[in-house]
Amino acid sequence: MSVVNEFLFLDNDFKNSGVAQADWSTKKMVWIPSEREGFQSASIKEETGNEVVVELDNGKKVTVSKDEIQKMNPPKYNKVEDMAALTCLNEASVLHNIRERYFSGLIYTYSGLFCVVVNPYKLLPIYSEKITEMYKGKKRHEVPPHIYAVTDNAYRNMLQEREDQSILCTGESGAGKTENTKKVIQYLAVVASSHKGKRHHYSLTGELEKQLLQANPILEAFGNAKTIKNDNSSRFGKFIQINFDNTGYIVGANIETYLLETSWCIRQAKIERSFHIFYYMVTGAKDKMRDELLLEDFSNYRFLVAGHVQVQNQQDDEMFEETLEAMEVLGFNEEERIGMLKVCSTVLQLGNIEFKAEKNQEQASMPDNTAAQKVCHLQGINVTDFTKAILTPRFKVGGELVQKAQTKEQADFAIEALAKAMYDRLFRWILACVNKALDKTKRQGASFLGILDIAGFEIFEDNSFEQLCINYTNEKLQQLFNHTMFILEQEEYKKEGIEWNFIDFGLDLQPCIELIERPNNPPGILALLDEECWFPKATDVSFVEKLTNTHSSHCKFSKPKNLKEKAFFTVQHYAGKVDYNATSWLTKNMDPLNDNVTALLSNSSSAFVQDIWKDVDRVVGLETMAKMAKSDSAAPTASKSKKGMFRTVGQLYKESLGKLMTTLHNTQPNFVRCIIPNHEKRAGKIDAHLVLEQLRCNGVLEGIRICRQGFPNRIVFHEFRQRYEILAARAIPKGFMDGKQASTLMIKHLDSDPNLYRIGLSKIFFRTGVLAQLEEERDLKLTDIIIAFQAQARGFLSRKAFSKKQKQLTAMKVIQKNCAVYLTLKNWQWWRLFTKVKPLLQVTRQDEEMNQKEEELHKAKEIAQKSEAELKEITQKHNQVVEERNQLQAKLQEEAELYAESEEVRIRLEAKKQELEEVLHEIEARLEEEEERSQVFQQEKANLQQQLKVE
Amino acid sequence: MAPKKDAKKPEPPKKAEPAPAPAPAPAPEAPPKPAAVDLSGVKVDFNQDQLEDYREAFGLFDRVGDSKVAYNQIADIMRALGQNPTNKEVTKILGNPTADEMANKRVDFEGFLPMLQFVVNSPNKATYDDYVEGLRVFDKEGNGTVMGAELRIVLSTLGEKMNETEIDALMQGQEDENGCVNYEAFVKHIMSV
Repeated sequence: MSVVNEFLFLDNDFKNSGVAQADWSTKKMVWIPSEREGFQSASIKEETGNEVVVELDNGKKVTVSKDEIQKMNPPKYNKVEDMAALTCLNEASVLHNIRERYFSGLIYTYSGLFCVVVNPYKLLPIYSEKITEMYKGKKRHEVPPHIYAVTDNAYRNMLQEREDQSILCTGESGAGKTENTKKVIQYLAVVASSHKGKRHHYSLTGELEKQLLQANPILEAFGNAKTIKNDNSSRFGKFIQINFDNTGYIVGANIETYLLETSWCIRQAKIERSFHIFYYMVTGAKDKMRDELLLEDFSNYRFLVAGHVQVQNQQDDEMFEETLEAMEVLGFNEEERIGMLKVCSTVLQLGNIEFKAEKNQEQASMPDNTAAQKVCHLQGINVTDFTKAILTPRFKVGGELVQKAQTKEQADFAIEALAKAMYDRLFRWILACVNKALDKTKRQGASFLGILDIAGFEIFEDNSFEQLCINYTNEKLQQLFNHTMFILEQEEYKKEGIEWNFIDFGLDLQPCIELIERPNNPPGILALLDEECWFPKATDVSFVEKLTNTHSSHCKFSKPKNLKEKAFFTVQHYAGKVDYNATSWLTKNMDPLNDNVTALLSNSSSAFVQDIWKDVDRVVGLETMAKMAKSDSAAPTASKSKKGMFRTVGQLYKESLGKLMTTLHNTQPNFVRCIIPNHEKRAGKIDAHLVLEQLRCNGVLEGIRICRQGFPNRIVFHEFRQRYEILAARAIPKGFMDGKQASTLMIKHLDSDPNLYRIGLSKIFFRTGVLAQLEEERDLKLTDIIIAFQAQARGFLSRKAFSKKQKQLTAMKVIQKNCAVYLTLKNWQWWRLFTKVKPLLQVTRQDEEMNQKEEELHKAKEIAQKSEAELKEITQKHNQVVEERNQLQAKLQEEAELYAESEEVRIRLEAKKQELEEVLHEIEARLEEEEERSQVFQQEKANLQQQLKVE
Repeated sequence: MAPKKDAKKPEPPKKAEPAPAPAPAPAPEAPPKPAAVDLSGVKVDFNQDQLEDYREAFGLFDRVGDSKVAYNQIADIMRALGQNPTNKEVTKILGNPTADEMANKRVDFEGFLPMLQFVVNSPNKATYDDYVEGLRVFDKEGNGTVMGAELRIVLSTLGEKMNETEIDALMQGQEDENGCVNYEAFVKHIMSV
């Protein structure tokens, strides 16, 4: 446990007690901006007007403007578990706290409602069975910050309050969203199935729990890829909804995904990878399966741009086996598994189809159709039809079908679009199957716990349509957070009986959201984009022009001034300004796939392929559309051509997001914010600017901004009293006094501005920074007292030493006196006489002693004589007895001889007796014989007699 | 240990406290000034008995035999005579001497008296309650005790840092079997002499 503890608990050494505080209060430490570290500590030397001279750690003096300075928290707040408790709430302090905790191996930190987690880039022993047990049923403040604590709280709240819960994990790629999501599920799988009484054993988790855990490797194999930032980057968002019954069992689950980035299928950067499954398959599929899938070497696939890129610590062939096993657990049969892999192989093969532009003609041709043949073989379609559908598709023009030859660019585009659509369909098909497997229990779920794992706010160099969608989502999620916080804060104030009008900061985000999603009056970005898609001659530039005309006065909208390009516009998000590049938004918003190919595939000879493409022919109504096409594109245009319905990618996304938000609004949300510490995948390194940027994007700083509006620091009365009583010791009378009264007296004594604090029912509320001041005063006071005490103690020591010295002096004096007395005595006549006479005094006593000794001698002699006489007597007796003994011994010998003699006689007699017995036996035998013979004779005699009679 | 003897010596200064009552008037002006103290304005106001005791004590510190003591002994003598000045106060009275001066400069009894008088006039005002309150800060359990180890760290790192020998002598016999110090008893003990 002790090893683990250091990753969870703060070491409560003396630094926190007040020793380190001396430095802080005397030096007036503050934070100033720094190029390298974000912020660095400095101590104030001089203040003049708006400028401040500070001294850095290295002794250099710098002048900074007052606005740049951020206050530093007293050391008491070092590595606090909840940053909302910080008294100086500012970016520098938040960064510092996260950094310090991270360096100590503490990756989880609360910030009010948020749980902030920094990717450790190494395995920490904080997810074991023991730890799970530790967090079970504990309140948030009883245990160190952990994703388990968040999960457990959500779970208990769900059970106790019958309210659905959600855990929202957001963050950049590589920040650990997916890992933390997995930990949530793992925790729930253990905790929520232990109700059956099968606790303590992971292996005993039920079938459903197993499937739930195994769903992840499948989704990861098909939906994750290696990117520059992240070896296992999820290229899609997901919402996992786990359903529980009344008693808290898991009864089922459902997974929804958002925005699978299918473009990873067709191109990646040099050190990146496409989706894992391709690599698993090409490395792992052997022998017969390899032939069946028509697999080739990595270098043969154009879509796998960099060939076989390896992922560290991961064997692709092993992963292939694991993925197949996971599929088996989730009930995919052999045929389905092969079908899935065939689609993957097809996607790769599509990349190898090459077109050439015919000379003198616009039209494209396919000189070598080997790759196309392979594609068609794998998908069970006719190669001629396929080639036609790509090169000369037929379109409906004014009610008539017209064949139209395609250029090389158009054909290439069509192939890429097909690859993407095919992969996307496969992914959704897999998801549907997984959901079916996870939802097989018939029991009704009472409530659910949803886990959202979705990319956080993105600001790139080049921001496209995908970024708009993601940022739009994050605006909505941030709004949800602000709103939740507002509600909770209000409750807290109400509970404590404090009058305070809190502003709903959720409203802050509304203008930006409206700018994006408003359907009309005036139409928002998405609506305008849809509108442009209607016009045949519209371009991306015309779209931006329209946008600019409509929203030129919108407070969140602007045109970047310095950019020449016309396809740019800027949106002021809560996390910052984002320049969007609208190039190719019109195509991105529509489905680029042509009907000819889809029709072909939906009539494939393979049932599996048909299944994947089957909804093409179906009339897609509103309902089914929202259900099946969460994030995507293929379905809408199909229906457009058939039914004239126009559903764009943006519209669908907005719808599925709307649905998600409705779900989330009906839950009690729990917020987890994942942070990537650096872009080098290195443990123990924090890139300050990168982290600050994320804190800004994920709303942690926004949350803090809101906190600052109210009274963010709350201390329960007795704690307040214990810590600060030293400042107002005389204000409180001796004896008992209840906490509130004492605190009220204390705060009055301290003469604080009434606007800086509020006294609630159990706590005292402070504005940000007030506690820092109290801390400072407390430190100064404490130092004063300690110095006085030290003076007192030194006085004590000196006096003790002095009294010892005095005693030594007194002792010395006594010795001196004795010596002096002796010296005078030495020559005194009487004394000399006495010393001479003294030995003689003993002679008279010698006679007396002699007599005494003689008497003693007499006595001793008498005793000796007596003993001698006794000895003689006893010796005599002894001799007598010995003689007697000898006599008896002789007698005994005689007897023994006699006995031996008679024994001899006895033996002889016995021998004789035996001899005689033998003779007797012999005679007896003979007698028997004779008797027998006599009988025989008798018989004979009788016979003869009879004969005689007869005769 | 030897209460009888102790009672004999520290007493005189205590007696002295009421005595200088008329004197403080000019002296208290001095403390707020950070610069060296002007001792010429201090009126020495001890009675004959006190002066005798002080002289005797003073003599005890003279290790050379020139009837003077070194600067670095001044604080000790003042403390032996029942005062509790801080190190800072003493250095101030001595005119912020250098380390070299502390060791080598010497002062005679007549020069010492105004210094003592100055300290007597501005005594350490902290009370038993103040000390207890200050130590309570380190009472984590709220049970009236602090860890001896923590107390050592506090005394050796905060304020006018004390050295190990000083602390060892101070803490002797104060820690219970768990290494805890009952600070109320501790303060009483320190203030008893």
